[in-house]
Amino acid sequence: MDTPHKIFSPARLWAIASNTLLELVRLKVFYFLLLFALLIIGSSAFMLDFKFQEQFQVLKDMSLGSMSIFSWLLAVLATAMLLPKEIEDRTLYTILAKPVPRLEYILGKLLGILALLFVSILLMSVMFVIALYIKQQAVLTDAVRGLPPEQTADVIRGVKASAFTVSLIPCVAMIYIKSALLASFTLLASTFATSSIFTIIVSFVVYFIGHVQGIARESLLASPNASALSKVFLAFVSLLFPDLRLLNLTDDVVAGNAISSAIFLKTAGLGLSYFCVYTLAAYLIFAFKEL
Amino acid sequence: MMVKPLAAVFSMLLLFGAAKLPFEHRLEQEDRAAFFHGAKLSLGLRDQVGQLGFLAALSGFRSLVADFLWIEAHTAWEGTQWGRMALLFNNVTTLQPRVVMFWDMAAWHMAYNASVAAMQDPKQPRLALRLRAQREYFELGKDFLIRGIENNPDRYLLYERLGIVERDKFGDHCAASRRFGEAAAIRGAPTYEKRFMAYELSHCPGHEREAYERLLALYKTGRREWLPTLLERLEYLQKALNIPAAQRVNIPEKKL
Amino acid sequence: MNIDPQGLNTIPAISIRNLTKVYPIPFRRERVVAVKDLSLDVLPGQVYGLLGPNGSGKSTAMKIVLGLISPTSGQTQIFGRDSSEVESREDVGFLPENPYFYKYLTGAETLHFFGKVCGLGGAKLRTKCAELLKLVGLENAASRRLGGYSKGMLQRIGLAQALVQDPRLLVLDEPTAGVDPAGSREIRDLILDFKARGITVLLCSHLLGQVQEICDRIGILYHGVLVREGKLEDLVSIENQTELILENSSPAVLEQVRALVEKSGGRVVETRKPQTTLESFFLDVTSGRRTAEEPPHVRRKE
Repeated sequence: MDTPHKIFSPARLWAIASNTLLELVRLKVFYFLLLFALLIIGSSAFMLDFKFQEQFQVLKDMSLGSMSIFSWLLAVLATAMLLPKEIEDRTLYTILAKPVPRLEYILGKLLGILALLFVSILLMSVMFVIALYIKQQAVLTDAVRGLPPEQTADVIRGVKASAFTVSLIPCVAMIYIKSALLASFTLLASTFATSSIFTIIVSFVVYFIGHVQGIARESLLASPNASALSKVFLAFVSLLFPDLRLLNLTDDVVAGNAISSAIFLKTAGLGLSYFCVYTLAAYLIFAFKEL
Repeated sequence: MMVKPLAAVFSMLLLFGAAKLPFEHRLEQEDRAAFFHGAKLSLGLRDQVGQLGFLAALSGFRSLVADFLWIEAHTAWEGTQWGRMALLFNNVTTLQPRVVMFWDMAAWHMAYNASVAAMQDPKQPRLALRLRAQREYFELGKDFLIRGIENNPDRYLLYERLGIVERDKFGDHCAASRRFGEAAAIRGAPTYEKRFMAYELSHCPGHEREAYERLLALYKTGRREWLPTLLERLEYLQKALNIPAAQRVNIPEKKL
Repeated sequence: MNIDPQGLNTIPAISIRNLTKVYPIPFRRERVVAVKDLSLDVLPGQVYGLLGPNGSGKSTAMKIVLGLISPTSGQTQIFGRDSSEVESREDVGFLPENPYFYKYLTGAETLHFFGKVCGLGGAKLRTKCAELLKLVGLENAASRRLGGYSKGMLQRIGLAQALVQDPRLLVLDEPTAGVDPAGSREIRDLILDFKARGITVLLCSHLLGQVQEICDRIGILYHGVLVREGKLEDLVSIENQTELILENSSPAVLEQVRALVEKSGGRVVETRKPQTTLESFFLDVTSGRRTAEEPPHVRRKE
């Protein structure tokens, strides 16, 4: 007969992933980028009569903050829609009735979302860097005007230090990893959810609890003689929820702190292990799911 | 049918949770050590920013909320509402204690703008009260800088600013000298911090000898340090301390 | 392995052995028996009609065959390979009930996607897609998005999609539901065409007229139990009766026929216009049981 069936085929995986991305693109998901552009242009224009340090601070906060929020929303909403839509359109059945392992199907879908997030964050970063560069040039011409030549070097250094710094790169990388984590969690939620509304609500709750998990964890570790009930509650929160606040490097970077590569690698590693665990869990549930 | 995989997944998540918990704990401590994450959000913040802001503060919206409050403070400045500005600055710096710029600007607005406005307040005819109000704004600015330093002990800028406020607003040269000295001790601080420290020390009674030695050391590093103020202070101290003529450095006539 | 030395023909395209599927009802002590001890074979080359009212378990059985759900007990095979193996699906094409596919893809893109999912690619896949589009008569709509397709066109692209990896078995769930009569006829012709190419077809339907026209063999599921199974002619013919279909005979002639039959000891059961006999048979089988006993699908646990 024909060629033997491959246990795992990157071509099949890519077919599913690229199709997922294509679907999201044709659903005009990328229109949110207009909103992002509007936000950074708006905040740049609005801040013109502020000091240049303030302008850079707000531009960075705005851009990175909305990058983070947009990628979070995109990850949760696009992933939550995925399985219910596939079931509604029966494409889940047609694909799985082909010789496609469920692992490949679920990985392919997730990969499509990851590609969407990657492209979105990349485009937002490009817009952000362009805005930063334009602002820097504007501030520079303004600041250098009328200065004696021996002082311009200092001023230029000062302005450039407030504009683009290399530590923005790990910060954007963490925004991506965080959104990938949230996508994988949403996928896990959607494998046992009965509706996408349920999935979205669960993911939002996890997002908010994930930001206070650190408080629960630290008070669990700091108070060994708390009551049993509150211990169980604190343990439940700190074991089952990710510490999303730890995964956020933005505030430190914008404040002007350089990120050591050790801390970046540890933080990224933590985020990626969450991603893997949630993806594995989603696969396990999906593998035994009655469709 | 679904019970078994659900149980398996639940126990997997718990196991992973047990494994990552000490890791997260350690990473948070490393973060604190590296960045001095500092100020745990004070409980009072809940009342100040309101419930929504509080929730957002903990959920990744912190920097955006801070920016909006900052812009609001800017608007308040245009309306010369000094009290409101102080309140907003408090909120902003509580939300973003690691952004040195916010502390710096808040202190500047209080010690320089609000204090001047208080002194010129046309609604307050009594000079004593205007002076008191001015003094209160000086204190407020100083307070922002002190709290800013507590949150950012690793950045030189706020020490320098505090030195300037001590010097210009309080006239306390000894304190100013201490602050410039602290700034100079921080890695990456500009070289002028050392100079500023010595200048202030030369105005601080009882420290003339130390000031002289410091200025002399700076003088000996080379022509780059032979700035007019340095030469003038050195000359003053040589006279004040009765340094023997043989040991005196040759102060060039003021040409600059 | 199940390779039979006498040839592949003796391995059934679908083999279902003692299949039972029980769904628990959450938070209640009842369980729904969707399929109960079902055994049947679909031999290669047959067009097999699996019939049953809604909720009779035919969708469940079909999904188990396709590996979409797992059986409580018993087993199913496709050409000798267990349904739980992914490889078993290499030989089957599936058209679900009311498919929509991806609305944003064109007809050609849809086929291309499903081909790639099956591990195909390159020029071979492009030729295959063009061929299939022609086969189902959609070559003119190949570059239109599926969002603009009619129900009949969707079903036809669905058939093409099912055939993309050249399977030997097609499983069709209500392929003509919601399709207008002309479109319905086109789909029927396509199925006959597949049969002529030697493709085995399992057809789930309750449109009995159509089933009767194209199926070689049928099975009737009622409340999860296979109540009748066999060759279509055998099932619908009544052994001690003969149907005469006359054309252009006057009432007088009919009267003479009746007299002749009664004289020879026979009996004219009724005189009527011809109608779809399968339909009456089907209703007979299912409605007879409904009054006779309690529906077996809900059983209380002890």
